[in-house]
Amino acid sequence: MTDAASSESDLIRRAAAGDSDAFGALVQPHLSLFHNGIHRILGNVADTQDALQDALMSIHRDLPRFEGRSRFSSWGYKVCLNAALMVRRSRVRIHDMERPEPLALGPFDERGHHLETDRRPEWQVEAQAHDLVERQEMRECLARALDELPDSHRIVFVLKDLEDWDTDEIARHLQLAPGTVRQRLHRSRVQLQARLRDHVLGGRP
Amino acid sequence: MKLLPSCHDVQTDLTEYAEGALPFRRRAGIWLHLLLCRVCAAFFRGLMALPGVSKTALAPPEAAPDAALKALAAVQAALGKPKP
Repeated sequence: MTDAASSESDLIRRAAAGDSDAFGALVQPHLSLFHNGIHRILGNVADTQDALQDALMSIHRDLPRFEGRSRFSSWGYKVCLNAALMVRRSRVRIHDMERPEPLALGPFDERGHHLETDRRPEWQVEAQAHDLVERQEMRECLARALDELPDSHRIVFVLKDLEDWDTDEIARHLQLAPGTVRQRLHRSRVQLQARLRDHVLGGRP
Repeated sequence: MKLLPSCHDVQTDLTEYAEGALPFRRRAGIWLHLLLCRVCAAFFRGLMALPGVSKTALAPPEAAPDAALKALAAVQAALGKPKP
């Protein structure tokens, strides 16, 4: 066992015995990860803070049952995602009642093919986005675009494309048909890509 | 349905295509369309690259935000030993 792992085990043991300083030292290095995971699902500062608080209480309560089969950060992160999903289930989802925007595709001709194909600037995501993603403005653009997705769509994108859940797992968790999950995922991807494309090619900020 | 679907049909079905959720005939039509249409092919590459780009762009910051520190302080206080 490495020094870091042994010191983490020691912190877990002390925190489980009620030492709040040890709990703080155990959780602090992962706090940004935990907060970020919850915020991506809830997209709301106040809800995120409440869910994080609930999750930290659950982590503390369940520490005696943590067997060290996975890393503490992975286990704690899972607890945080579950707390976020619980909050999401219980709150009124105003966005869900709105009609979804049409897919940002096209323009197409009457046969459904692209118009003016040769003059459309090509979206080279591999070449452009990966370079630009290091820039703060790009990160902000994506974060804003994610916030603007309807709640019912953002959750699917976050679980599938950011958390790497599989479609059936998401469908079971959200009580949706797998086809609905894929439709929502597609709408989210199209909308996010349109925002990124506009940003990279000099459209909307 | 036509063997070669339109750009609109292709772009509407790309996530289902990528997940292998379409019947063979539609899958084959999209595969062929992507070979022939550079705009749809670029659109598809963009969609498939989005998770990687988003994971990088939306990764947690190094420092935990104030709201997270407040949540931890509240929990520590509830555990019986408030932090200064």
